[in-house]
Amino acid sequence: MSRNVTPGHLLVVDDNKVNRLLLGRGLEGQGHRVAFAENGRQALEILHQNEFDLMLLDIQMPEMDGYQVLEKVANDLELRDIPVIVTSALEELDSVVRCIEMGAEDYLIKPINPVLLRARIGAGLEKKRLRNQQRELIRRFATAEVAQDLEESGFTLGGRFIEATAMFSDIRGFTTLAESQSPTDTIELLNTYYTLMFEAISGQGGVVNQMVGDGLMAIFGAPLPLPNHSEQAVRAALEMIEMIELFNQDQEAQGKPAIRIGIGIATGQVIAGYTGTQRRATYTCVGDTVNLAARLEAYTKVAKQPILIDETTRIALSETIKVQDLGPAEIKGKNQEVTIYSVLAG
Amino acid sequence: MEEQAIIDMPTYNELKELMGADFAVELIDTYNIETGALIEQLGQALTSGDVAVFGRCAHSIKSSSASLGALALSQQARELEMMGKANDLTGAGQKVEKLETDFLLVKQFLEELRNEP
Repeated sequence: MSRNVTPGHLLVVDDNKVNRLLLGRGLEGQGHRVAFAENGRQALEILHQNEFDLMLLDIQMPEMDGYQVLEKVANDLELRDIPVIVTSALEELDSVVRCIEMGAEDYLIKPINPVLLRARIGAGLEKKRLRNQQRELIRRFATAEVAQDLEESGFTLGGRFIEATAMFSDIRGFTTLAESQSPTDTIELLNTYYTLMFEAISGQGGVVNQMVGDGLMAIFGAPLPLPNHSEQAVRAALEMIEMIELFNQDQEAQGKPAIRIGIGIATGQVIAGYTGTQRRATYTCVGDTVNLAARLEAYTKVAKQPILIDETTRIALSETIKVQDLGPAEIKGKNQEVTIYSVLAG
Repeated sequence: MEEQAIIDMPTYNELKELMGADFAVELIDTYNIETGALIEQLGQALTSGDVAVFGRCAHSIKSSSASLGALALSQQARELEMMGKANDLTGAGQKVEKLETDFLLVKQFLEELRNEP
């Protein structure tokens, strides 16, 4: 049994003062900060004034009952993520079922058992923490619009098949480059590089979901659908190359080395979802399409072309984007030869 | 019914042990005041025929009485709550009166416990 529950800010809603005292005392004894409301209307007022990690909610109350509170909370973007634990008498289990259907997380039977109280509160707070973390991850890795839409549509934790475009990009000869300059310069270069790449990718509706060393992975068309994800990805790639050229002019002016990047893009079905553990989760995409994009990025070294795309991506492109057919090539991990196209800078 | 203890001592002692003696005193004082007010409200709701308020008051008395170990009183309140739910308060007057007198016993008993060292 875990004894060290992270303290939280909790709201106890109950019209009976004895119940409020009992719950409050129990929770404060476990290290939490507790606020109280005597009915649903008061609870909503307090919820809007302060941030809470969890709410313990009685069902039968004057002025506004527990059901009405749950309904309001479910429709309120600000309050929707607060886990609600319903407190009720054993004989009211049918009411509890209704509350859980309305979005309550869990329930506790009155009179409250302190051991169960600790366990349920701990689990509820952990859920809140995970939700905050997911929200933060999405904010960090998604564009503002995607983050907003995700919050509105709710997080889907399960995986699903999505038609999307995957992109991989990295810096050519980065190790040699890193050896030729100071660590501070290298980190500064990486930060500038990432800033530029993020701007180009999110500007076209893509989401950067992985950064490893000097490489990154981006998805277009997931978590949210994007109508022309193939074209958007290629446009982002062209912008990335353009930005690197501008960056290089700047570098050369300062007597610093220029960098080159390689980008691989593939379109098709991907498996998208949250992966990780309870403590650390991230949005990612896996599958053949993702592997192919990674292989194409690696192949840019062989082909000596900055942007390589697969056939499916090319078919989806409008005529304004010029490509060169490089013919079939043997790609690692593919049994059949793959037709590769190089995207030409406009 | 008559044989059931006014206060179930194991329940009360556990509460006192878990929450501390000082807190038990605070709880008893609150319970006595609040329950007195709730019973008054219950009677008013019965007179005016407000079934919703009647049921809610009975529910509240049931809930806090059980917490303090006043299990017999809690059971009586539960019966009244059920009458409210069934929307039929026939014969509720007598039961409310019984609840009122039994509450006085509970109150007295709790005050004795409160003043124990």
